[in-house]
Amino acid sequence: MLTVPSVTPDAISELSTREMRRAVARRWLFRFSVLIGWAAFIGVWYFFSRLVFNPQQLPEPHVVAAESWTLITERDFRTNMQASLFRVLAGFLLAALLSTGLGWLIAYNAWWRTLLRTIVQLVVSTPIVALAILTLVVFGVSSLGPIITTAIVATPYIMMNVAQGLTGVDRRLIVMSESFGRTRTQIISGVLLPSSLISVLAGARLAFAVAWRMELLTEIFAASEGVGFQIRRSFESYDVRGMIAWTVLFIAVMLIFENLVFRQIERRLQGRTA
Amino acid sequence: MATVLIENLTKIYPPTITYPHRVQALGGVNMSVTGNVFVAVLGPSGSGKTTLLNIVAGVETPTSGSVRAVQDGVPAQVGYVFQEPRLLPWRTVLNNMLYVQDRKSDRSRREAEFYLTMVGLNEVAHLYPAQLSAGMQQRVGIARAFLVNPDILLMDEPFSHMDALTGRSLREYLQRVWLHTRKTALFVTHDVSEAVELADRIVMLRPGGVVFDDIPVNLPRPRHPDDPAVRAVEGEVLRRFDSMEAAVRFGAQAG
Repeated sequence: MLTVPSVTPDAISELSTREMRRAVARRWLFRFSVLIGWAAFIGVWYFFSRLVFNPQQLPEPHVVAAESWTLITERDFRTNMQASLFRVLAGFLLAALLSTGLGWLIAYNAWWRTLLRTIVQLVVSTPIVALAILTLVVFGVSSLGPIITTAIVATPYIMMNVAQGLTGVDRRLIVMSESFGRTRTQIISGVLLPSSLISVLAGARLAFAVAWRMELLTEIFAASEGVGFQIRRSFESYDVRGMIAWTVLFIAVMLIFENLVFRQIERRLQGRTA
Repeated sequence: MATVLIENLTKIYPPTITYPHRVQALGGVNMSVTGNVFVAVLGPSGSGKTTLLNIVAGVETPTSGSVRAVQDGVPAQVGYVFQEPRLLPWRTVLNNMLYVQDRKSDRSRREAEFYLTMVGLNEVAHLYPAQLSAGMQQRVGIARAFLVNPDILLMDEPFSHMDALTGRSLREYLQRVWLHTRKTALFVTHDVSEAVELADRIVMLRPGGVVFDDIPVNLPRPRHPDDPAVRAVEGEVLRRFDSMEAAVRFGAQAG
């Protein structure tokens, strides 16, 4: 005789409770594995610091942490970090402004597309150290040099993504807008800009990361303040603790920006279009 | 009174890299639609139904011939329901409705809510399209087309991507809203029962974009697909459809 198992509301609710518990357990397991990863990294650091090198060459993690804390509490930290942040943001904003116009030209004009793609290849394949030295030669020791160089290096990343975003717009949405009599301006603000936003954001994230690195490098060569300048100064006085501490703080600020600004915007955009 | 006057309309697509041949979508269509009628344009794939609608909407240009869509002598406002909903994924349902309106006032908001209520979606006005089912999204598409208070309503196989049950319920929603507004409607479909259930008149197009037949449907509304009278008309349309196919085959053999 064939017996059909009955599916009662209680059984369904028990099943969903079990599924929910599993999901929570999976999330905690993931967090735990991230913690283990960090612990392993610090362990490897200790190993190399004590057994492979000496603490003078590679200071131990707790020494770097103490040095970082000392730097944070000093007045110098604010001044230097502010200087670096200002240059990164200024360079990035300049790049974003340039990229919007140039990305538009790449998307809709074949002549500009050919020309700008060649320039992009040229910029991307130029070693950033060469650009940093060139900055020092052209602009001397000033804020302007790092800002402009950062903008030059970041522009291709945003520009190409703006172009990609615009060419990837769903044509059917434009036809829909036209059939309802939307004007050109309404189609640009209502369809083109929002639909290319995710692609632009991906380019902006990449450009921001590149901008940080470029900024740091140009500061090493061509600045009288900023995190890069402090790293160079620590290097000149053979202060390895200071060098690593400044680098760690720089990375920390970069990660805070990445998580608090870009990831949040991306999460919100993806939530709407998923 | 809205009028659509189509005279000797021809559309030929030029060869492309992927398809190096000319394609004749419409081959001299003549028809006129006047007043508050619901006209179904019925035809198999490749008969130029969507092209015809796109030209009436003004999103495509004809190769030759003319289309006049007017309301009391001035160009008519058109509302379009597409095969897919074509909603903006980054806007809520309500904001998708408001996107097609020129004025952004309390009144337009109330109108949007009214049409959403008509299609049973006022409760989900704050949600994004990705949070709705395909059928619900298409209902938003229908409500959006009525919201612009169109003189002429164009619908391009709006239920073709739906399963049978969803399609049936959407047809009921459409009938309900259309009976309330009585707009001049051009409805493109390849589904005979859909055409008979909704239309006052069925214009049959044959492959190559030529009008084959023009059949009046004089049945009371609202109509139900199981109604014997609806089924009888459906049978008659199918007979004519068969004779059209035979004529096309005979023409092909003779050619």
